[in-house]
Amino acid sequence: MSYRMDISRRGLLAGSTAAATGLAFQRLARAQTRSGSLTVGVNANLLTLDPADANDTLSQSAARLMLEGLLSFDKDMKVIPQLAEKYEANDSATEFTFHLRQGIKFQDGTPFDANAVKVNFERIANPANHLKRQGLIAMLDHVEVVDDHTAKCVLKSPFGAFLPTVAHPSLQLLSPAAIQKYGKDIGRNPVGTGPFSFVNWSPDTLKVRKNPTYWQSGQPYLNDVTIRSNPEDGARIAMLQAGEAQFIYPIPPQLAKVVQANPKLDLVNDPSIVVRYMAMNVMKKPYDDPRVRQALNYAVDKKTFVRVVYNGFAEPLLSAEPPHVTFYAQQAEYAYDPAKAKQLLAEAGHPNGFAATLWGANNTLSITGMQFLQQQFAAIGVKLKVEPLEGGVMASRIWTVQHPADSQLELYYGAWSSSTGDADWALRPLFATSAFPPSLYNVGYYSNQAVDADLKGALETADPEKRSGFYADAQKRIWQDAAWVFIGVESVIGGRDKSLHDAYRLPDGGMMIDAAKYA
Amino acid sequence: MLGFLARRLLGTIPVLLCVSLFSFGFVRMLPGDPARLLAGPDATLQEVQLVRQSLGLDRPLWQQYATYIGQTVRGRLGQSSRTGQPVATVIGERFMPTLLLTIAAMGWSTIIGIAIGVVSGVRRGRWQDQASMVLAVSGISFPAFWLGLLLIDLFAVRLHWLPTGGEAGWASFILPSFTLGVAVAAVMARFTRSAFVEVAGEDYVRTARMKGVPERLVVWKHTLRNALIPVITMAGLQFGFLLGGSIVIETVFAWPGLGRLLVDSVNYRDYPVIQAEILLFSFEFVLINLVVDLLYAVVNPEIRLA
Repeated sequence: MSYRMDISRRGLLAGSTAAATGLAFQRLARAQTRSGSLTVGVNANLLTLDPADANDTLSQSAARLMLEGLLSFDKDMKVIPQLAEKYEANDSATEFTFHLRQGIKFQDGTPFDANAVKVNFERIANPANHLKRQGLIAMLDHVEVVDDHTAKCVLKSPFGAFLPTVAHPSLQLLSPAAIQKYGKDIGRNPVGTGPFSFVNWSPDTLKVRKNPTYWQSGQPYLNDVTIRSNPEDGARIAMLQAGEAQFIYPIPPQLAKVVQANPKLDLVNDPSIVVRYMAMNVMKKPYDDPRVRQALNYAVDKKTFVRVVYNGFAEPLLSAEPPHVTFYAQQAEYAYDPAKAKQLLAEAGHPNGFAATLWGANNTLSITGMQFLQQQFAAIGVKLKVEPLEGGVMASRIWTVQHPADSQLELYYGAWSSSTGDADWALRPLFATSAFPPSLYNVGYYSNQAVDADLKGALETADPEKRSGFYADAQKRIWQDAAWVFIGVESVIGGRDKSLHDAYRLPDGGMMIDAAKYA
Repeated sequence: MLGFLARRLLGTIPVLLCVSLFSFGFVRMLPGDPARLLAGPDATLQEVQLVRQSLGLDRPLWQQYATYIGQTVRGRLGQSSRTGQPVATVIGERFMPTLLLTIAAMGWSTIIGIAIGVVSGVRRGRWQDQASMVLAVSGISFPAFWLGLLLIDLFAVRLHWLPTGGEAGWASFILPSFTLGVAVAAVMARFTRSAFVEVAGEDYVRTARMKGVPERLVVWKHTLRNALIPVITMAGLQFGFLLGGSIVIETVFAWPGLGRLLVDSVNYRDYPVIQAEILLFSFEFVLINLVVDLLYAVVNPEIRLA
């Protein structure tokens, strides 16, 4: 009897210890989700908080919490004023004048004025500073301080896309005093005019807290924001399910249903400006023949591509640029028609098709897309060998090739996002003759003088109507030439706690959470 | 003893010099232009050239190596070309999480692994042996990736007892150290068992039994102590591998360790960080081998260090 009593006492003790430990863990886990705090789960580590030295959308998005630009993008990538109240350009697109908001201070108390614009822009444009985004405003000659609240950007050459460039997150402004104080370490000590102030940044976690002197009254609504990296997709979704994060991205299309199935969560699904395409090396046979390129366009069922590869989280691409980029001009679809594709191949002298190698990135989504194309092309006799390449190999085989004749590339399955949201950066780096590697990304070596003239003409004016005309013509010609196999526009997918509002993903793949709040 | 230590430590210098040369050459043999990768997917040629100049990659190779060795000897490891931070800071931030996780995982898995191995060896052929070995084989066979996600789903998502990942307090160590240690415990159990069984068949063990030495003493003193030599070697090797950072565990549990750093650095061709990590791993292995040799002498006083 006493033995059994002993056992049961032990059992009781062990049981209560386990329960107490469990409750302690539960409290620990829940303590992380306080109201007014937001944790965002992302897939990579931040690289820097100096947006002028950042080439990744994530670092730029994180910097956006603390910094602001003269202009910015809204959630549809439309240019909107931010620290500049209004702006104007001269007709030849060489001078852009910004009238600044008054009474704003950086988080360290430094006043925001035209001198701050001069210090920031000239710092970025100066090649001696070795900033990664120098090329964005390499055309800037100098900034003229007209008065305390008016800054005039004088360019070396006309650049009609200057306004969307100024809205680019890389041109957000840092406090001139902080630039002076921290020098090269400014990327780890960002001071801006934004809604949140920097607290700390460990290898995988950034913490920011509310800026009490923020110029937009009442904002921000949150007290603090934490950005935590979690590279594994399943584990990142678990953060959201467990309540450790209230907003996560990206979510791969095949895992979207996990979020959709949870009644406490919302799936964020917005159109992006990320296009999926297949480039063909037009310097090589048989891709020098437009009929072959058109045949490959007719051979791909884009609607099925969207369903199979992206689980529906994409749209067919109907121009050389996506709809959310400025001056988009929709074209008549290359409707899926394998018979027509075969006929075009026969007319081009390839009645039995041909063999080809397709290169692309070495990740699941890219490989799935390439395998889909492999199956589609097989139906018209084009035997595709799919070769996924590691990033470094891709750089050496594609982007750093010095002369078109040296390129071994036949077909390339790629993606592009115009980070300025403007047609110039959506078309020029991919289709201009001057954009052959290694200078830019026209990896298929497509060249059309009329398109080149359009792209040049559109940069020589700041008049939106004139620019629209140039870009409409360029898109029509690129489409008719079938410079690419035009495939799809990806959606940006994320997961959000249902109680969280106004936390978005931007079409460029970044995030916008500065005005987020809980219901 | 001190002479032994001094000789061994001095012996690391040529080893590390060779490693530095190999790692320097190896990272430069990787395909891909680091300046292009670092400048980003939409950088212009001019931006790429600016990055190349700022990294010093436009200078001849011998100059780059001379600078690298010169800096390293003076204790400066250069700057990460990816983040611009000093390499020592980048590695320092990641080293402690990896070390602590390794200690946590090795701690429990060595004790449990050896205990299972001993039970299995003592009860050879019986159900305890079979059950232990089924457990050990399962431990080796479970993919850590799958086990980690399973544990996250149970303890973080369903029960809300533990965090999903990240390094935030002692509770965050439980799932990753368990997942990391499972395979180690299994290896240790199998290794201990086979060493134990081998030693148990030795003449001196049979003599001890015949002399009527109590079974407890035969097992712990005569058998296990002698069986521990290969087990210590294996534990040292495992410790060394884990100190290099487990890429799978660090990815699943978002652990800010050296394994993920190495993958990220290779992806971006962050030469200074890759070189420093390889040098660190080599140094760790040299040190661990030294400790293992010292432990041999502790476990078996007949082994003399000279």
